[in-house]
Amino acid sequence: MRGLSFICLFLFALICEGQNYKFGKVSKEELEEKVCSIDSSASAAYLFKKRHTYFSYHRSDGFKLHTEMHARIKIYNQDGFDYATKEMNLYKDGVLEDKMTEFKAYTFNVENGKVIQNKLEKNEVYKSDVSKYLNEVKFTMPNIKSGSVVEYKYIIVSPFWSNVDEFIFQHSIPTKRVEAIFEVPEYFSFKPRTKGYLVFQPIQEEKRDKLFYKTEVPITENTKLDTKSLYRTGEIEYKKDIYTYDLENIAAINDEPYVNNINNYRASVKYELSYTKFPHSAIEYFSTTWQDVVERIYKSASFGDELKKTAYFKNDIDALLASVSDPVKKAALIFNFVKSQVKWNGYYGFYSEDIKKAYKDHVGNSGDINLMLTAMLRYAGLNANPVLVSTRNHGVPLFPTREGYNYVVTWVKLPDGSEALLDATEEYSIPNILPLRVLNWQGRIAAENGGSGLIDLYPRTKSKNLISMMLKIDEEGTIHGNYRSTKTNHKALAFRNEYIRADKSDFLERLENTYDGIKIENYVVKNDTDLSKPVTESYKFLKENQADIIGDKMYFSPLFHFRTVENPFKLEKREFPVDFGYPSVSSYKILINIPEGYIIESIPESVSLALPDSLGSFSYNVMGNGSTIQVAVETQINQSILSPIYYEALKEYFNTFIQKEAEQIVLSKV
Amino acid sequence: MRVKLFTSVLLVTLSVFSQKNISLTIPNNLKENANAVVREQSVDITLRSSSEMHVIQKRVVTVLNKQGNDNVDAYLYYDDNKRIISLEALVFDAFGRQTKKIKKKDFKDVSAVDGGTLYSDSRLKYLEYTPISYPYTIEVSCEYVDENTAFIESFYPLNDYYLSVEKSSYSISYPSDIQVRTKELNLNDINLEKVELDNYLSFKVKDIEAIKPEDFSPSLSAILPRILVASNDFTLEGVSAHVENWEDFGKWMYHDLIKDTQDLPQSTLEEIQSLVVEAKSDVEKAKIVYQYVQDKVRYISVQVGIGGWKPFNVSKVDELGYGDCKALTNYTMALLKAVGVDSYFTVLYARSSQRSMESDFASMQGNHAILNIPQENGEDIWLECTSQKLPFGFIGDFTDDRDVLVITPDGGKIEHTTKYEVDESLQTIKGLCNISNEGSIEAKVTVVSRGIQYDDKYLLETETSRDLDTHYKKHWGYINGLSIDNIEINNDRNNIEFIEDISFSASNYSKIVGDRMLLTLNALNRNRHIPDRYRSRKLPLHIKRGFKDVDTVEIKLPSDYKIESQPENVLIENKYGSYKMELNVKDENTLIYNREFTIADGYFPKEDYKAFRDFYKEVSKQDNAKIALIKK
Repeated sequence: MRGLSFICLFLFALICEGQNYKFGKVSKEELEEKVCSIDSSASAAYLFKKRHTYFSYHRSDGFKLHTEMHARIKIYNQDGFDYATKEMNLYKDGVLEDKMTEFKAYTFNVENGKVIQNKLEKNEVYKSDVSKYLNEVKFTMPNIKSGSVVEYKYIIVSPFWSNVDEFIFQHSIPTKRVEAIFEVPEYFSFKPRTKGYLVFQPIQEEKRDKLFYKTEVPITENTKLDTKSLYRTGEIEYKKDIYTYDLENIAAINDEPYVNNINNYRASVKYELSYTKFPHSAIEYFSTTWQDVVERIYKSASFGDELKKTAYFKNDIDALLASVSDPVKKAALIFNFVKSQVKWNGYYGFYSEDIKKAYKDHVGNSGDINLMLTAMLRYAGLNANPVLVSTRNHGVPLFPTREGYNYVVTWVKLPDGSEALLDATEEYSIPNILPLRVLNWQGRIAAENGGSGLIDLYPRTKSKNLISMMLKIDEEGTIHGNYRSTKTNHKALAFRNEYIRADKSDFLERLENTYDGIKIENYVVKNDTDLSKPVTESYKFLKENQADIIGDKMYFSPLFHFRTVENPFKLEKREFPVDFGYPSVSSYKILINIPEGYIIESIPESVSLALPDSLGSFSYNVMGNGSTIQVAVETQINQSILSPIYYEALKEYFNTFIQKEAEQIVLSKV
Repeated sequence: MRVKLFTSVLLVTLSVFSQKNISLTIPNNLKENANAVVREQSVDITLRSSSEMHVIQKRVVTVLNKQGNDNVDAYLYYDDNKRIISLEALVFDAFGRQTKKIKKKDFKDVSAVDGGTLYSDSRLKYLEYTPISYPYTIEVSCEYVDENTAFIESFYPLNDYYLSVEKSSYSISYPSDIQVRTKELNLNDINLEKVELDNYLSFKVKDIEAIKPEDFSPSLSAILPRILVASNDFTLEGVSAHVENWEDFGKWMYHDLIKDTQDLPQSTLEEIQSLVVEAKSDVEKAKIVYQYVQDKVRYISVQVGIGGWKPFNVSKVDELGYGDCKALTNYTMALLKAVGVDSYFTVLYARSSQRSMESDFASMQGNHAILNIPQENGEDIWLECTSQKLPFGFIGDFTDDRDVLVITPDGGKIEHTTKYEVDESLQTIKGLCNISNEGSIEAKVTVVSRGIQYDDKYLLETETSRDLDTHYKKHWGYINGLSIDNIEINNDRNNIEFIEDISFSASNYSKIVGDRMLLTLNALNRNRHIPDRYRSRKLPLHIKRGFKDVDTVEIKLPSDYKIESQPENVLIENKYGSYKMELNVKDENTLIYNREFTIADGYFPKEDYKAFRDFYKEVSKQDNAKIALIKK
């Protein structure tokens, strides 16, 4: 028995031995693999990826962060050739910069049954000075064919030790094996935050190490006043924590429609610095708890201090609010004032860049604008606080870190107890209707006393699009009539952004062509700039060929060109939540006058259906009465974001209502 | 050939702009369809010698709305040979008051590497400005000295859609030992003031209205008014040239840029020679070489110094296995030479716009390179050497049907690339559709695509099955609840045919209303797009490429139903194409649906657009024709 298990173990060891992950030891099996063993559709795969990140102490300039990378990539076919090109960002700030060293890269191929390798020469590695803060290193591997394996390794030495790049375990191609090691000396405390659907845990161990230091000796202690002996050197023993990840067979991750940000679901771990504690120094906190994060952000000069400054706007706000005492009016006036005075330059951020300059130049980033707004509201005696936000493209903040946020909006509580979220970067936004980029789970209110609390960023009120039409259909199937729509909240915001900035005749032409060249007259928009009211559009229209005329019968869909034709959900399976951005309702009320000499032969049955757990509903009513037909159709999505467990139901729901909307009214000649 | 066409950069010296309400002074006709108006632009060039030019530019643009921000064009490319002396921008509000001054050091300075390029030594300075309100005006001025004189800025008063021009001027002075040539294009409706003196030229235009993009219209490059300018003596990255016509230009390119790069390593030479031993003709040899190139190299763009115009050495491509279009074309040429087949490096404008090289005006033009293999019958073979997927001799809409410059050791000559004729660009569909008593459809279809229609399909070959599933669901997006049961794809690279065998099904395909069933006959190939309608069409109608679709579909009717009424056969023929629909009853439960739809390429006056659009409308209507069935 014992003998048998020995053999098993031995065999197992042999199998493991088959994969040699030492640099350069690419096997013939790896080169001859035609199709990826874990995903037959893959055009390329990481056979092996190893990252080792650790700190080293340099006597002259302190700690540096070293990251050793080693990747072995298999290219199965031409579509995978892009993975033979690698781009890296190297950061810089003044004299400090990331440096790449010990670069080595080879391409492996089998030619005439033999493994041959091509080295990537140093002069084929291109470094570009992209901007003030960024260098870019790019290279592409030589002699790439279907079947090639490329392998490269390098070390990046970075003076920016407070920022450890995310360890990414999942890519747009499959990964067969990934190893990651992170070593942290006791002077640093890092918190890991893990993302994605994959479950993984590091192995954690502790080791001891030594560092050699050199410090300046205070003049008072120095007796000889000889520059050569101004330094004292020594050796310190310290302990370090080592985190090791070892994962196998990780599937590729790819984007899908209605996914807010695919990176939210990518398997990865990010180590965030919470504090440092160097020998003979006080603890310096970066972040530990949300409380702490908020406090630290609040204390910084370009956040909390900016909220206290009032001198630059005092006179203007005094004048603006001179005769106003109602707090609601005050808030509205200030919100509109900021929106009209300071335009957003497109940059994100929760810190102010230069708030006074922004006010004076009428241009600023999101920090400038919304901190200014908060300060003004407070100045006017209102209870206002900044709200830290992670925008959709920035992902969802799960763990307490400053880097978790990248944007700020404003929260205000009025004396009547009502609350509102405001974002003055968006010209046509209204209270509680934040721009789409901000709609990403929850924000964190940063209160003056350091308190913090979560607030839902998704709107609670539905965005409406209410459409009514009165139309006549003639014997040729041409429809003509009047259209009117009323849009609120996000539907109104989207419309205003589109309409107000456009050339009006061009806008109209595009609108006509949205519906295959419908003819529109008397186009009128109301309340486009009066944000306190829903925006309405109305027009007269004419559209041909809206019915099938077969024999003495006419057939048409009661929603005409407004019916939904295509289901946006085409994939059979879905792993990620479906993000609609905001809850909405669309309603159509249509009155159809039928041509003279025709009677209604049949109309579709009325129906209503609902998504499970009241997530959405569809109601469809058609009623005929002599020469008129009344149509009422309403679709609702009641939540901003739907869990993937509802995907099947959602897909079927769309299928069913698309099918229902396609049903026909039949008229027949008398 | 990713030539550094960084010439259309228009920047400025400074002058005091009139202190009045700028936006009110713009004539109404210039505001129509305009997002921005070029109020004033001047380009003043002094060609000091064939190896140095001094340029002063100024551009004043009033931006009317957000879309117009891109037309400020406040950027300037530079490199080791181009020195910026000054660069400055002034911003004015709607009342003409200066609100901001941006100095050279406040322009952003970045590497000019774009997404498709691994490396380029060009750099870019650009202005980042957030408008506070509209309209606003920006005046950008710059002055620079360039040692490259191959790209003398041409007179390009207009460079975009939705942009109009109030006034624009251009001048060039040059030494007496240099000749400067010009060519005027698309200036018919424009009042041009010209001054031509010894060693000096100047042009002035006023009031050019904005152009709006329209469906089926000529490309922007074919309608923009401009005057091309080139000097007979110029320098490119230290290489000097004397060029009066395309023949000279080709000679210069061949002898100074191409010839010394042909260093094919002996081992590769022997390898390729051994591969073609069995080949019986030059075309057969060329096919083997092309396959060898496609298997061995791939497209990667690297542009350094003269490398922006001169191909990498053949030995370098051979070693690295990659290169840009110039390098790969040159490499293929060297391999063909090794097996005794003549071929020629060809410069052209790529992309679907079919832009031609100016046949009678030699200057640095083009943005791509392909290879020409002359044939005795005049039907030359063209090879796209950057693609690893295109079949031999197939160039698709990237480089078809346009004038190109073929470079031979004896000089350059203008030739025309392959045109895909209507009948060659054929898609045939053979289908079988079973309709059940419940109205569901089961379809089996074979689609064979050729010519320009092959070009639309061949990339499907390497899609993943998940992406193909989504592709076909979108392709037949008008059928709700479609599920794809089987996909078989065959890319026949020899015959240049793409064959798709697809089976799909969908419930509730036809509409059941009481005792009747309404069945849309054309399930497999409905025209889904009607060209846009314009209240007043401005541009001529240009159908760049024609095609032909021939569909034959057998429709099995549900057993419980019989035909109540059926649409009549249709035949439409006009100068834009033709449409034919015939429905034959084969037996009680079987119909044969025949459809032929042809669009012919051609150039027509703008008045024709409505009739052309009406044709498409009619086709869409007929493609939705239904047959009414009634319960037996």
